[in-house]
Amino acid sequence: MLARSARGLYWMGRYLERADHLSRMLQLQAEALVDRPTGEIYSGWRRIYRSLDREPPGGGLELAPSHGGTAPQFQRAEGPSGQVQAQRRISDDYTLADSFTLADDLTFERANPSSMWSCFASGRENARQMRHCINAEMWRSLNLTYLKLQRIRMLDIWLASPEGFYTETAEDIETFMGVAAATMYRDEGWHFMQLGRFIERSQLASSLLLTQLEEDEGAAEHTESDWTTLLRIYRAQDAYTRVSGVEISPGVALDLLVTDPLLPDSMRRALDTVAQELAAIGSGPDRESSAAANRMAGRLRSLVLYEWPDSSDKLRLLVSIADLSRQLHSLVSVVYFDY
Amino acid sequence: MTTADRFRDYSIDANFFDEMFHADGRTRDDWKGLERTLTDLSPEELTAIQERVTRSFSNEGITFTVYGDDEADERIIPIDCVPRLIAEAEWRGLEAGLTQRLKALNLFLQDVYGESRVTRDGVIPADMVMGCPQYRMEMRGFTPPQGTWVAVCGTDLVRTNDGYRVLEDNLRVPSGVSYMIANRKAVKASLRRLYRASRVLEVENYGRLLLDTLRELAPGGQTNPTIALLTPGVYNSAFYEHMFLAGELGAELVEGRDLVVSDGFVHMRTTTGLQKVDVIYRRVDDDFIDPTVFRPDSVLGVPGLMDAYLRGNVALANAPGTGVADDKSIYAYVPDFVRYYLGEEPLLQNVETYLCRRPQELEYTLDNLDNLVVKKVGESGGYGMLVGPHATPEERTEYAEQVRANPDDFIAQPTLALSRSPCLIGGKFEPRHVDLRPFVLHGQTTRMVPGAFCRVALRRGSLVVNSSQGGGGKDVWVLEG
Repeated sequence: MLARSARGLYWMGRYLERADHLSRMLQLQAEALVDRPTGEIYSGWRRIYRSLDREPPGGGLELAPSHGGTAPQFQRAEGPSGQVQAQRRISDDYTLADSFTLADDLTFERANPSSMWSCFASGRENARQMRHCINAEMWRSLNLTYLKLQRIRMLDIWLASPEGFYTETAEDIETFMGVAAATMYRDEGWHFMQLGRFIERSQLASSLLLTQLEEDEGAAEHTESDWTTLLRIYRAQDAYTRVSGVEISPGVALDLLVTDPLLPDSMRRALDTVAQELAAIGSGPDRESSAAANRMAGRLRSLVLYEWPDSSDKLRLLVSIADLSRQLHSLVSVVYFDY
Repeated sequence: MTTADRFRDYSIDANFFDEMFHADGRTRDDWKGLERTLTDLSPEELTAIQERVTRSFSNEGITFTVYGDDEADERIIPIDCVPRLIAEAEWRGLEAGLTQRLKALNLFLQDVYGESRVTRDGVIPADMVMGCPQYRMEMRGFTPPQGTWVAVCGTDLVRTNDGYRVLEDNLRVPSGVSYMIANRKAVKASLRRLYRASRVLEVENYGRLLLDTLRELAPGGQTNPTIALLTPGVYNSAFYEHMFLAGELGAELVEGRDLVVSDGFVHMRTTTGLQKVDVIYRRVDDDFIDPTVFRPDSVLGVPGLMDAYLRGNVALANAPGTGVADDKSIYAYVPDFVRYYLGEEPLLQNVETYLCRRPQELEYTLDNLDNLVVKKVGESGGYGMLVGPHATPEERTEYAEQVRANPDDFIAQPTLALSRSPCLIGGKFEPRHVDLRPFVLHGQTTRMVPGAFCRVALRRGSLVVNSSQGGGGKDVWVLEG
């Protein structure tokens, strides 16, 4: 396959995975806006921004006017105290106004290359340029979503149901992946698309989990609901309940998200897929560096398979997984695209 | 609703051939089925059909991209849902004429890059050929595979009250064939029963015919050559077509940077290393294909490509240098080429053309500037052109001076009375001017699909069919029988 086409499909996979991931994080965050305490809403935004390694518009979240510098504490409005009620309303108004800006920045902002729109549009643009390498069903599914998203602005979704919008967008992207799985010829194009998608997934997941572990080290106030959110982002809540009951323990949740072989969104499965796809693609022009890429994929798997269970320093392991995933990406580019 | 009502406001003008109606208002026989269908549909149904056709283009992403300062703007070519009908017998006449013409043009190219009998025998002045900027010295003495200089041609035909005329031959990198197929897919899905009943000849096998043609050009007569389509890239307005055709051919869609020449052979960079390419269907202009031979500033081309080509290690379609045969002034001689090379009378006529290099024709041109379209040789896309009837007296005077100063650079043609065909405009049928671009393929044999890209000037009264200036497209149905 033409190296440039392979790169296009690889990036299509990466961008769409990123858009999917963003829409799921934002879906949970939009739900949190309805009923979670202000402090948790802020930490939710912070987690998203930190995991994306992006500065929120206007600088740090801590500067929001209602709570001068520290993470805000939710004030329960007990009794008819007008004072407290008023304060809470102001605080909530700020929360919502800020949230609108933040959500817009992460969803539709054209100038933000990591907004959901930008990721989706980049994925679709790669597909547009490589349409002869994918099939008509895939293109159609992707293009219809694009035409729909193109017309939507934040105000259109904000007052009605932002979580509904994010759910639908995630579903659209997953439908595309389903169409691809059901119809695409399993040639190199497929393997490169999958490779991009799952390398991206392991980068995103290791980054988000790392962010949460670091947050946990600070204030451990709402970790349980944070971990519930993470489980839901990776659609693992039912599985968790089935395997470990209803009590959410951060350590158990983390293990499930990283190592569970049955959970579709687990790191374990992502890294298994990466290794499989690399093997299916086979060697690039240079055997030496191709073998190095395969070894690196194997090392990534072994971190999760063999080191994770006995490790007492999960944070360090996650750092290693994130680093190796990044390195693997560079290596894949050198081996197959830019030799 | 009766036919009379639906077409009540449809005006027939004796100056223009109407594709659907006789001059006295009677419907042409081949169009009666279509007329019945259009009359039976309610205005709402008609609008829905038009919307469906339009929407199918944006849903499928059949677009050309306009790059502005901000975001790239993907536009669609507006498609009118009313097909243009052509009877098979009439089509076969066009087919014979186009085949004859392309045969003569290929022989002309072989001749002017070889012995140049045509100039020595005085059929055309040598300085016109050699002085043409599209004449490529690099090609002298070369014979492409099968003697095929032009493998893909997209002839522009117009129809007047006197019949079909060739307006331009388009022998370089003609585009539009993907729209022919896209129009067909969209329109037949919207007029399903009519399509079935009308027995329309198929055009969707074009890709197969193109593949057969390109295979026949492979070096050394190999039967299963590696074919690549060379595109200028995603910024080119015809990118959709390049991608579409690559898909139809099962060929790789390459840009210049994907190709490397080593040891006189062309290779493409694949995920497993370099792979030899045998045939390149190039959609990049001559000037840009090889910076070591033509324009050195080109980043679209492949250094060394011409060397590999002239060694016979790779085939190019079309061959470099074909532009000399579709030059605006050499065009005037094409009917003579048909007589000279084939010993036959041309089946398709040219538009009457006055060459200002000839003193008598120069005088005629200057005396009749208000009725003529004067074109500058070597320009395209409507640049350097005077449309006499629409120009001010000052513009005409100024232009006349230019013509008098360099008569060789100008030709003149009468303002064309392009035929008109009904279009659905704002829920009603109105006549609009149309042209016709069929595509002719030439390898060992000549191949054509029975159909064409029909361009239509959607603005009332406009004769400009270019998509950049309010032009749209129409499906063309060649009716069996």
